Amino acid sequence: MRILLGLFLVPLWLGAQQVAVKEHQLSNGMKVLLLERNDAPSISGGWVARVGSVDERPGITGMAHLFEHMMFKGTPTIGTKDYEKDIEIIAAQEKVRDAMRSEERRMREMWRRGEITDLQDPDQKTAEWKQLNEEFKKLVEDHRKVIVKNEFDRIYTANGGSGMNAYTSYDHTAYFITVPANKLELFMWMESERLLRPVLREFYAERDVVFEERRMRTESTPLGKFFESFNSLFWESHPYSWPIIGWPSDITAISKKQADAFYGTYYMPQNLTLVLVGNFKSKPALALAEKYFGRLKKGEGLPPDVVTLEQPQKAEKRFYAEAETNPNVDIYWHTPAFGHKDTYPLSVLAQVLSTRTGRLHKELVLGKKLATDTWAWQGARKYAGEFNMGAEITEGNTPEMAEQEIYRLIEQIKTEPVPAKELQKVKNNFAAAEYRRLSSNHPILMQIMRSEGLGNWREINEAGPKIQAVTPADLQRVAKKYFTKENRAVAVYTRKPGTGGEDEDPLLAGLDAQSKAMARKMSSSINANKNLEELKKQLAGLEAQLEQAGAKAPPVMKVIRTVLRNRIAELEKK
Amino acid sequence: MKNKTIVFGLLLALALPGLAAKIPDRPEKLTFPKLTYEPPNGAEYRVPLKSGPVAFVVPNRELPLVSISILVRTGKYNEPKGKEGLAAMTGYLLSKGGTRSRSAEELEERLAFLAAGLSSSVGDTSGSVGVNLLSKDLDEGLTMLREVLTAPRFQKDRIDLYKTQQLQAMKQRNDDSRNIERRELIRLAYGDHFFRSQVTTKASIESITEADLRGFHQAWFHPRNFVVAVSGDFDRKTMLAKLEALFAKWPYQGQVAKPVPTNKQFAKPGVYLVDKEVNQGRVDIMLPGILRDNPDYYAVQVMNDILGGGGFTSRITNRVRSDEGLAYSAYSYFPGGTYFPRTFVAGYQSKSRTVLYAAQIVLEEMRKITQDQVTDKEIETAKASYIQTFPQAFETKTAVAGTFASEEFTGRLAKNPAYYKNFRAKIAAVTKDDIQRVAAKYLTPDKVAILVVGNKEEILKGHPDHPVNVKSLTSGSLKDVPLRDPYTLEPLK
Repeated sequence: MRILLGLFLVPLWLGAQQVAVKEHQLSNGMKVLLLERNDAPSISGGWVARVGSVDERPGITGMAHLFEHMMFKGTPTIGTKDYEKDIEIIAAQEKVRDAMRSEERRMREMWRRGEITDLQDPDQKTAEWKQLNEEFKKLVEDHRKVIVKNEFDRIYTANGGSGMNAYTSYDHTAYFITVPANKLELFMWMESERLLRPVLREFYAERDVVFEERRMRTESTPLGKFFESFNSLFWESHPYSWPIIGWPSDITAISKKQADAFYGTYYMPQNLTLVLVGNFKSKPALALAEKYFGRLKKGEGLPPDVVTLEQPQKAEKRFYAEAETNPNVDIYWHTPAFGHKDTYPLSVLAQVLSTRTGRLHKELVLGKKLATDTWAWQGARKYAGEFNMGAEITEGNTPEMAEQEIYRLIEQIKTEPVPAKELQKVKNNFAAAEYRRLSSNHPILMQIMRSEGLGNWREINEAGPKIQAVTPADLQRVAKKYFTKENRAVAVYTRKPGTGGEDEDPLLAGLDAQSKAMARKMSSSINANKNLEELKKQLAGLEAQLEQAGAKAPPVMKVIRTVLRNRIAELEKK
Repeated sequence: MKNKTIVFGLLLALALPGLAAKIPDRPEKLTFPKLTYEPPNGAEYRVPLKSGPVAFVVPNRELPLVSISILVRTGKYNEPKGKEGLAAMTGYLLSKGGTRSRSAEELEERLAFLAAGLSSSVGDTSGSVGVNLLSKDLDEGLTMLREVLTAPRFQKDRIDLYKTQQLQAMKQRNDDSRNIERRELIRLAYGDHFFRSQVTTKASIESITEADLRGFHQAWFHPRNFVVAVSGDFDRKTMLAKLEALFAKWPYQGQVAKPVPTNKQFAKPGVYLVDKEVNQGRVDIMLPGILRDNPDYYAVQVMNDILGGGGFTSRITNRVRSDEGLAYSAYSYFPGGTYFPRTFVAGYQSKSRTVLYAAQIVLEEMRKITQDQVTDKEIETAKASYIQTFPQAFETKTAVAGTFASEEFTGRLAKNPAYYKNFRAKIAAVTKDDIQRVAAKYLTPDKVAILVVGNKEEILKGHPDHPVNVKSLTSGSLKDVPLRDPYTLEPLK
């Protein structure tokens, strides 16, 4: 078969499927990316702010995301019936909040002394705080009389806007919507107005919304809190170590004043990129962009850069968690940042290892039947990257067994070049994806914004040829460079006892996962054994060992003893 | 054929009402060019093939890709008792278990090399087999598709692997409160005896044999039970010939598709609480729903949009999320069912102590919309949104083919061929009186059943600032719903 290989190696790559984005710049330094497409009578538009959770610091973690929420609250003319009264009430609310913050400072002191056990518990707030909160609630009631609820959204909705949303990542924040093709100027008006003069009304209710989002995504899911904790273990010095949504203590402490300062620092035109994809003509669209977004005042210089680098890891890190989940192993390695030359072979490698015809599935799922599911991916963030591999473990095996198998596959990559046909298969899929990604306006917009947010929109066109140029030697080189013991962190998840899902022998209850796997293996061989003499010999040997070990005997030995006794009794009955 | 029916026009001369004009203080002062749009007409793409199926064929030469999707008249409702899981298993293994001439490995490897996607599935009320590939590989793809459809191998090791994976997934049934919520919601909304509530168990999945899979496949996967959607880079005439060949001379007789059962039964009023140790409760406030061909359908859609379907512009989101900060996501949906009435649900997730308070607010909003007329602004916004976002249904050629295939499959194309043509006019005709009438007719407080999954003790404790008696929420009582054994789904003690 090897001889025939050449026949299959017709490269699919045509290298022609460029996304014809045109880059422009407004007079204030704001970047504009335009892509005309005339399939549908609509325009998907959005803008990226080059700011994310990496730009925060302890105390205000979660700020980038909370601020993103606040960008939907309106402007001096959108969202209120009476702007003067509106800002008057906001100022009065801030006064009460300042007093509440002093009280919260006192409450944190009480917490340190153990006089309060849970700062979130409504029953444990101090009388002073409750009093101030009543005052604040009254101001909220007053405020509702002048607020026009969610008017920003309503205007878009009434004009056929759809899918209005935003996301915050570690590195960037993106806002987007799709509007009918005749509403381009509405988009320009709405987006430039909220950038020009956002009004952060209903700040504290929104903070509570974000806390509910945190409960929903992180705290009330089986693995959310563990992923968050593991992420913090993986990143040491880099600000990637805190969660995008923020630590709970910080979400409840962020003030409007801090949010105002954040806006002033990061939402300046030189730090923003506007993106339009769809049914419009570039020349008039660009003129409209200048007219509307050109009003944003150019900031002095660029916002501060992220200077803290991740310290090279010194030793392997291991994380053991008992969770409401099937056992699995999840391994992360540090890899380079978005756009680094090594990210292309790493991306190819991830595909060699993952998918249904990839090596992890073939070896761990189909071959050794150690896992029911496997995964591998390379994720480049703006300032640093990560490579992840893992597996969900089948009954009777341990995460550590799959982990060793994963390392064996990595060693294989390091020592044996990936065959040409296997590499070509992966490249063919990258090439076909270049076409598939061009299905409709919104997904194209999202790709451009993401790439721009990570550092350079041009990567959507430049990455393809670099992927196609990857050689087997490149794969070996990056595998050797990044897949080292010192560079990895390993999370091992086992099922929390008593959380269901177990269907095992009650005998095994109370054993740790590794002992369980051992006990199961031995049980099945004991129960298949028909040689009574041999079993009795085994039992005698085990009894002797148990006696010798005394209290220190591992519990699994006693379990095996019971299994042996039961089997012997069963055979003797016959 | 090119772009024949997708018509939209923008009068670009008007697109720039003077760049020099001052920027107004409110967006209402902007003027916009007129946008006209006519939806495609399904009949123009419809081809009844001589070999059996009806096909919708939409060429699009922009990219070198072809997409073929076959809808199959079968579903979970065809599962015999004790074989729960058979429909999904047949659907999955059809394309993942090899064919007569290729092992599963060979088939997967070849598809991967061609960067082609070939997938199959069977859901509650339909099955689907599809292929998406580069147009240069069309013939080879069709050969593989024909083999998957007519001669699946159902390889033994793939059956075993699928069973292992299903049992593994079953173990997680009580891990995530979301999974518990989904499962119990169906039982309450449709009743323990409805086919949707017949969940796979360890025993049922283990009892399924290769013969069961073959029986299910040969009974239902027959061209007369197919509707086909094809779009992409091909010549229409050539494609039609290829499709005729794809479905000709079928090796099995097959059975005539059975109608989807309609014997659903909505829960008795009350609050149904599943105790689960999490710090946020998941809540669904339910009422029996409607069919999509109910004459009230359009009024119901506009009403629900105002109540909780319209995101930030709707009342439930405004009150529960924006006013009170009680939830990240608060919404309602009121879908029209195709075969049986689909349940109305207003839902949210809130920290344990405010679960009941938020329920009270949602119920209050449901009452309000039956008692007072909605405002002009609300109805105009909701209607404008439906009307102006309408072209999105046909944004891509794949969507055009898929939408009409689905219309054919569910019978609406025959019954109401002008559904899409008339959609905007029907929405535009809805009045404030209509909204109040349908709200009063369907949002009936005495029938409300509420599902809550969360920490029982904390939830019932309520919030000191907003005490709510759980008994005041519905006309029924508080009922504890036990967690179920993940393998048997029998209630756990």
